[in-house]
Amino acid sequence: MDDSKGGSSFAVHISPEQVQRFCEFLYRRTGMSFAESKRYFIDRRLEDRITATGSSSFQEYFSLLRTDADQEIEHLINSFTVNETYFYREEHQLRCMTTSLLDAIVRQKKPGATLRIWSIPCSTGEEPYSIALWLMENWPQVDSYNIEIVGSDIDTRALKAAAEGIYGDRALMRLSRDIVGRYFGPVTGGNYQIDEGLRNSIEFTRANLIDTKDMTQYRDFDLIFCRNVLIYFDDASRRLAAENLYDCLRPGGYICLGHSESMSRISPLFRVSRFPDAIVYQRPEADHD
Amino acid sequence: MDSPDADSRWTAARALAGQADAVSALAAALAREAIPRVREAMMTALIRIGNAASIEVILPYLRSQDAGVRAAAIEALQALPDAIAPFMTPLLNDGDSDVRLLATELARNMEGSEATRLLCELIDHEHHPNVCAAAIDVLTEVGTPDALPTLERCAVRFAATPFLPFAVAVAMSRISGEES
Repeated sequence: MDDSKGGSSFAVHISPEQVQRFCEFLYRRTGMSFAESKRYFIDRRLEDRITATGSSSFQEYFSLLRTDADQEIEHLINSFTVNETYFYREEHQLRCMTTSLLDAIVRQKKPGATLRIWSIPCSTGEEPYSIALWLMENWPQVDSYNIEIVGSDIDTRALKAAAEGIYGDRALMRLSRDIVGRYFGPVTGGNYQIDEGLRNSIEFTRANLIDTKDMTQYRDFDLIFCRNVLIYFDDASRRLAAENLYDCLRPGGYICLGHSESMSRISPLFRVSRFPDAIVYQRPEADHD
Repeated sequence: MDSPDADSRWTAARALAGQADAVSALAAALAREAIPRVREAMMTALIRIGNAASIEVILPYLRSQDAGVRAAAIEALQALPDAIAPFMTPLLNDGDSDVRLLATELARNMEGSEATRLLCELIDHEHHPNVCAAAIDVLTEVGTPDALPTLERCAVRFAATPFLPFAVAVAMSRISGEES
């Protein structure tokens, strides 16, 4: 993916009407929405992408974007989102897990039963490890159930890094010193490695969300974290991913998406569940005509 | 796909995704399927096939009396912007204004100049203000400057329908990038 077709930067005039047009497209395509107060943020990123693609005007760039030439939608989304992943990102969803979701899930389980949680895509492991840490720190029933956490990604290099569990200061910035002290140990280069017990407690596997055959090996999850990946897919792939995720969940199980994502815009298969800390989506217990 | 068990029909529909020789089986099953989740999987299977035959299976559902079924058909067809292209002119000339209105939405995912050509042809001879309004709404997002003369004519033709000249002004400013 060539991300630097344009060489030198140049001033591109973008009118308010063009920004409006762009924002409406961006919202419909990705669910990302920006207030008028973010105009400078939008302008800067738009100008960067216009320059990077070698477009001579907004009009030319917008046409290229709409046809997704050279995967421009992916480049654009990357420029508008925080690509960096870190521990306890979108903490409100982790809080929702321990204050609402797990209580609802274990109501149908006996003590000692298995509770399966899936992080997909898990990238370099910050999310599945965050889930494990959060559970140990915040869920009083953590020892009453057999909790299985699986982290999956399409990128095997990311999975290797996840299994190693070595992180720098930035990835740990949201964790207290106390938590870092109890669950991490210093390694070379000023980094920290998550403790061996935690590393061994999470199963890391390769998975492709839009490969139905590949996904048949993933079943019976009670809770899935699938954040900030569906926005990259086209309509047909999103539908397929939603159906695959449906099959991976137990009836009554929940799925958490990224903050700009809405399953309602993708598929009618799931029911919206509003909790004090987050809006999540639930696989219904049964079909209704 | 004939199983009385919805899970079995769901699984069967998902297994047929992308198999071109399964279109007629999916068509027959879709016609008698009552469970929304299974209908959704059948639509997805047809999208994954994505040829003219699968489009022809979905098109009749644009005329359904059930708004949910019409919406599902539109969403399915929108996912196939290339395959739907040969069907656009007949759809935009359909005798049913509801079908013409829904068809304008199918242009939203098409390449800008082709969407502009199709929607301008529609607007230039369309007599129903709601169909014109739907087409203008799509042009507001995807239209190229070639749409401007048609939009001007539309505003004149529907001058007595206040919301249309307003919608035209918004579309023209977005397309031209200039304040209305």
